[in-house]
Amino acid sequence: MQQPPHIALGLSPEQLLAVLGGMHRSRAVDDRLWQLSRQGKAHFVITAAGHEATQFGCALAINAGRDYVVPYYRDMALAMALGQSPLEILLHAMGRQGDPASGGRQMFGHFSSRSLRIVSGSSSVGSHVPHAVGLALAMRIRGEGNIAAATFFGEGATAEGAWHEAMTIAGIHQLPVVFVCENNYYAISVPQPREVPVEDVAAKAAGYGMPGVVVDGNDLFAVYAAARAALQRARNGDGPTLLECKTYRLRPHSNADDDRKYRSAAEVEQWRQRDPIPRLERYLLDRHLATDAEISAIRQAARDEVDEATRIADATPRPAVETIFDHLYGDQPA
Amino acid sequence: MPVITVREALRQALHEVMEDQSVFIIGEDIGHYGSTYGVTAGFLEQYGPDRIRDAPIAEAGIVGLAIGAAMVGMRPIAEIMSVNFSLLAFDQLFNHAAKIYSMFGGQMQVPMVLRTTNGWTQLSATHSQSFDSMFAYMPGLKVVAPATPYDMKGLLKASVADPDPVVFIEHTLMYTVKGEVPEEEYSVPIGRSNIVREGRHVTVVTYSRMVHLSLQAAEILAKEGIEVEIVDLRTLRPLDMSLSIESFKKTNRGVVVTEDWQSFGTSAEIAARLYEYGFDHLDAPIARVNFKEVPMPYSKNLELQTVVTVDRIVHAIRSVLK
Repeated sequence: MQQPPHIALGLSPEQLLAVLGGMHRSRAVDDRLWQLSRQGKAHFVITAAGHEATQFGCALAINAGRDYVVPYYRDMALAMALGQSPLEILLHAMGRQGDPASGGRQMFGHFSSRSLRIVSGSSSVGSHVPHAVGLALAMRIRGEGNIAAATFFGEGATAEGAWHEAMTIAGIHQLPVVFVCENNYYAISVPQPREVPVEDVAAKAAGYGMPGVVVDGNDLFAVYAAARAALQRARNGDGPTLLECKTYRLRPHSNADDDRKYRSAAEVEQWRQRDPIPRLERYLLDRHLATDAEISAIRQAARDEVDEATRIADATPRPAVETIFDHLYGDQPA
Repeated sequence: MPVITVREALRQALHEVMEDQSVFIIGEDIGHYGSTYGVTAGFLEQYGPDRIRDAPIAEAGIVGLAIGAAMVGMRPIAEIMSVNFSLLAFDQLFNHAAKIYSMFGGQMQVPMVLRTTNGWTQLSATHSQSFDSMFAYMPGLKVVAPATPYDMKGLLKASVADPDPVVFIEHTLMYTVKGEVPEEEYSVPIGRSNIVREGRHVTVVTYSRMVHLSLQAAEILAKEGIEVEIVDLRTLRPLDMSLSIESFKKTNRGVVVTEDWQSFGTSAEIAARLYEYGFDHLDAPIARVNFKEVPMPYSKNLELQTVVTVDRIVHAIRSVLK
């Protein structure tokens, strides 16, 4: 008989429960952000809902704090999976003092953390991807090739010049970088057939001299296995990989978007049935790795934590006005 | 005369120019979605996918394609959803669109329009910028930034009819601004400024959204007997300073209000021209009101410190009258 995937992959039940807790925290923060948006407390909200298996699966394979991560605006679950807390995410979203991503400077979805080696990006789609290649080149030059860079983007970004240029350079120099495409089929409103000329983004890899891999992005184990293999290839000096995780965003692109204009409720519902969180719960229940009561407790704990984080974030002041010119230029050397 | 919004004025202009079969529109989310700010809603259904084309996220590609089509006689309207993303297309604009007519010795022209939008509201550093001065810096481009529904419609029509590449700058905070627009056909010529309020004590030179804030400032000051004259430039290149200088010669005091950074921004050129041509009439240094020189912060309180407000305009006007 075939081994259950988590055993084949060497993941313990404790790890799976931790992942489930993390996914619930992420989804609970996501839920909260939309509420805060309606209350006028979080001006801009962008969702990760639906992408959790892709982001947690990759995070499991990333050596957090050692490998460099260059995310895009969809990657809240990734930032949390790597170690950012609900409070940190909420301070960022609400533009409060102590926002670890930007000190209240950046709009939500631009995650960064020096200690977690999460590198901040701009809002221009795909423009962060070359940075990952540069980080990987730096690791190569410094003889730290066993540190990989992982960068994330949607399928829409693969139409951008910067993406193509980054892929080209990474392929030429066979740099230690993993390109993760979170393909959710829509570039805001534009469906894949009108934004990507091939069915699998992974097929583009051939043109850049690297392997392209397609996985079900809502299958935590498939994502983890593929991300682990790609990161291992990078760390071994065997070059870059383009990993395409096919997934779906369960909410509008952002709170400025109305997704009813471009996709049917039936389509969204179909994907709700494949929501990666209940999917992981079913896996745990079916294999008697957790009971209903344990799963309920995990869910409740996540919600309680997010409630508490919201209370603290809401009580935190905005950055002091006197700090407005902070970090515009570095200190002059003595 | 009917009163309509800026959005509706732009829609009317686009419908009218679409009657010319050489006009087509390309941009991100402009088709089925009807564009981020709703300007092209219903256009795909009316004109079909050949002429209303959803683009992938590829700004350099969108602008480059428009240039190519324009060179062979089409009149493309390329939409870049937010001016911030136009940076990705600057090579196409600067090294191609602006120069092709000149570099080809007059053999080919680029009659395209790049529609894009400035604006802010807690969208932070890479979503709240103005590159007006950068566009206007480049000989060969024309740069239009109207303030009212009337001018939006009239200047968009003139831009599409123009033989040269035109950057047409809108503003996210102006789509719902209302104003009178006649039912009969008209257009507004590129390169002509306009006096939007007459006064004798001080000249405010401005354009785009800052026209509306300057008008509010003028209302406040009018209660104290201060009469503010306001010139709306409407076009940045070619820059028509004739009315501004004439007004300055009358008032001897000037304030330049622009929604961008001060250093090397549009207000620098405008103020330089006022000094250059109005030097003998100067009674006070010209004041400028602009963004504070930081990347736009996300936090509301910091953002409000950074942007131009009616209060800051009022304060600047008072300062030149002292």
